[in-house]
Amino acid sequence: MTDQIAEAKETIYQVAEDVLEKLAFLFSFREEERGPMDYGSAVVASVSFTGQFKGRLLMAVSSEMLPELAANMLGIEEETSPEEQRDALKELINVICGNLLPEIAGRKQLFNVNTPRILPSGEIEAIISDKNPAATAKLALEEGQCDLILYLDDAGPGVSLEPETPEP
Amino acid sequence: MPLNILIVDDSAVMRSMILKSLRMADLDIEAAHQATNGLEGLSILNAHPIDIDIVIVDINMPVMNGEEMIQRMKENEKTKNIPILVISTEGSQIRKEALRRQGVAFIHKPFSPEQIRDTMNAMVGRT
Repeated sequence: MTDQIAEAKETIYQVAEDVLEKLAFLFSFREEERGPMDYGSAVVASVSFTGQFKGRLLMAVSSEMLPELAANMLGIEEETSPEEQRDALKELINVICGNLLPEIAGRKQLFNVNTPRILPSGEIEAIISDKNPAATAKLALEEGQCDLILYLDDAGPGVSLEPETPEP
Repeated sequence: MPLNILIVDDSAVMRSMILKSLRMADLDIEAAHQATNGLEGLSILNAHPIDIDIVIVDINMPVMNGEEMIQRMKENEKTKNIPILVISTEGSQIRKEALRRQGVAFIHKPFSPEQIRDTMNAMVGRT
């Protein structure tokens, strides 16, 4: 694994931990050693971006964590609707991505972050099987898990992130 | 005097979070209008241009983004002097400086209720 990938992964961890704590009042813990989540039992949001480099960030959260996550963000104790839960996850990935890109590329770079969306399960499998991610961060939440997966389509000049290769 | 505000953000959760932060910050809010994109925001402003004390707007939104909405507000005699607060994930110094040159205040997401209170009080001269 290159130093650049390690730095990107560390940056994803730092940004995600900070945003989860400040926006959703959730403490997270790194789970570097575990394998990927079961994305079939997770809700996965995706946000694409263009700029110095382009790609997309995926955020998978255990389905059972979403009600608490949304309630924390809304500051309510009542049950949240599925729409509110999906909206909360989309806002989380939007804030994480918006904070992540300048940390990786520098604050003088311009990025356009597109509107986040929730991925249907068929699309998740297609993305994951299609290419290797540039970096993956795996977190444990209070009663669930969260994976953040960064894909880069085209690393531009000055960006030396390389695809992560699976461990043998 | 209580404030009439307009919150423009495509995320219903974020609009609720901003409203919650305004309440937690003890800001005196008379009415909080809401819009899901810049076009809707302009429509509300055209209906109530004199009533709105502060516009809180996101940058990344579908249909019409925050930058275009701000541009159109600045081009309109009725809305050009309404104070604008951008609450966004925008990390580029270039974009933030461009907004500040237009007299727009900026708060980065994630934010605290205190940040909103202090910034809004400064915008309406209540420091």
